[in-house]
Amino acid sequence: MANDSPISLAVELGPLRLKNPVMVASGTFGYGQEYGDLVPLERLGGVVVKGISLEPRSGNPPPRIWETCGGMLNSIGLQNVGLRAFVEEKLPLLRPLQVPVIVNLFGNTVEDYGKLAAALDGHEGIDALEINISCPNVKAGGMAFGSDPKMVFQVVSAVRSETKLPVITKLTPNVTDITVPAKAAEDAGTDILSLINTVAGMAVDAKTRRPRLANVVGGLSGPAIKPIALRMVWQVIQASNLPVIGLGGIISVEDALEFLIVGARAVQVGTANFVNPQVTLEIISGLEDYLLRQGLKDINEIIGTLELTR
Amino acid sequence: MLLRNAKIIFNKPVSAELYHMGLLCPDIAAKIQPGQFLMVRIQDRLDPLLRRPFAVHRLYPNDPPGSFEMLYKVVGRGTQLLANMQRGDFLNLLGPLGRGFRLPQDKGFVLMVAGGIGIAPLPYLAETLAASGNKGPFVLWFGGKTSTDLVCVQHFNDLGFAVQLVTEDGSEGKKGLVTGHLEQWLTQQDELPKVMYSCGPYLMQRSVAEMAARLGIPSQLSMEALMGCGVGACLSCSLRCHPPKGVQDPHYANVCQDGPVFDGEEIFWD
Repeated sequence: MANDSPISLAVELGPLRLKNPVMVASGTFGYGQEYGDLVPLERLGGVVVKGISLEPRSGNPPPRIWETCGGMLNSIGLQNVGLRAFVEEKLPLLRPLQVPVIVNLFGNTVEDYGKLAAALDGHEGIDALEINISCPNVKAGGMAFGSDPKMVFQVVSAVRSETKLPVITKLTPNVTDITVPAKAAEDAGTDILSLINTVAGMAVDAKTRRPRLANVVGGLSGPAIKPIALRMVWQVIQASNLPVIGLGGIISVEDALEFLIVGARAVQVGTANFVNPQVTLEIISGLEDYLLRQGLKDINEIIGTLELTR
Repeated sequence: MLLRNAKIIFNKPVSAELYHMGLLCPDIAAKIQPGQFLMVRIQDRLDPLLRRPFAVHRLYPNDPPGSFEMLYKVVGRGTQLLANMQRGDFLNLLGPLGRGFRLPQDKGFVLMVAGGIGIAPLPYLAETLAASGNKGPFVLWFGGKTSTDLVCVQHFNDLGFAVQLVTEDGSEGKKGLVTGHLEQWLTQQDELPKVMYSCGPYLMQRSVAEMAARLGIPSQLSMEALMGCGVGACLSCSLRCHPPKGVQDPHYANVCQDGPVFDGEEIFWD
């Protein structure tokens, strides 16, 4: 679409401005180079890179993936190149591109999060940080940070105090009430919430009676989880004043529209990239077509317009 | 890396479980190297969801121009849907992907080893090798559970290969495992191969790599893994390898990007 397009897809999420609301989700687009020239990154609303830790991580032994009905179960084990290699090797390739770069980060301890945020704060070419709180806290017996509102508050506070960058907190759906960690993150000063991360799941080979994943359990993503994600986004929209990024199972423009109508200001596309590497480009042009058909000019005219009266 | 729709020009069973499919896609045919693979979206639907990786089995430069063949085994829902597709249907392909086979630096004796559906990427390699000016000798050791697993043997013969067949049930060729007979045969040869190329089940690959190492022969193995994206983004298709200098242990390579063809000595055998 040319620049003189009468249609505006631009959105604001607190301090973050995006030319359109369609981003790629962490862990599904590598460090931005993996899809080569199939996806000009400049066309995207933002790129969220694979989660970074202070030190490189090997990840889990294989098998790490199993396909289930309409979904993908994975247990990668947070494999990543580590902070130093990211800054020295990956970030320079992203910096010249006209696309917001959001760095997803995680740690083993609350202190790790603060150190990472401090280390990333000074680097040119990073537009926001996204905190992964779905990983285990080694000092709390491996319990996921995101499952305990006190730990959510501590982690988000640790990042908030070390960076001036916009902070996004990515919530795990593996809780009873999603609004509780959402409020904890808000109280700790996050600018934006993104949700949902993968849904805890499992698969077994009945023939061998072994788990399909070496790690036994994993995270489910893909179209199968979309209704869960949409419901949780809706709950958080009602409970919080913060801008929300919706994700979980989005594979079509209709899926993206559902999240925007419910009130998400932007969306992330994850597993669908594997199915159709150009799905984000199709969703972006699909949003423009939708606005044209509806006689609208601005994507903000549909955000949060869920019609509850019958 | 290209994303293209390819037209199915044939899709026929070779045996009860094995099918071969001809695809017309000149852009990909012009680029793909032996041992590289394609991520195939079977149909435009959400279940099965993910693409499936397939090697190019044979390349047909002229019949029609820009066409090639995949050999596949029906093992699950995805491959069953593939088997039901008709001539004239389209398949969406992502590729060429990965690191393929490298031809030997020195001309001369080349050995290939295949187990079952592991034969899939080898005919295209054999065609490329035969066209490279190498006069051989070329030998293929091909093992399967039973005689119907042993497909496309005539094509190897036509390319000048001596083919040794092994079946676990003894229904064709020697009885037993291909790796059991191979080492004995190799030690009886006056000359050792310049390179061993291999594709098959993990334990066979391990035996081949260890045999090649014992005899001082370079080996190139095409490895298999459950795959998500095919391009190195999802980090699902890991294979434990010996860590390069300065890299932490354990080191997991991506089969899709660092392979699927690995040198035997790269792999850490569990």
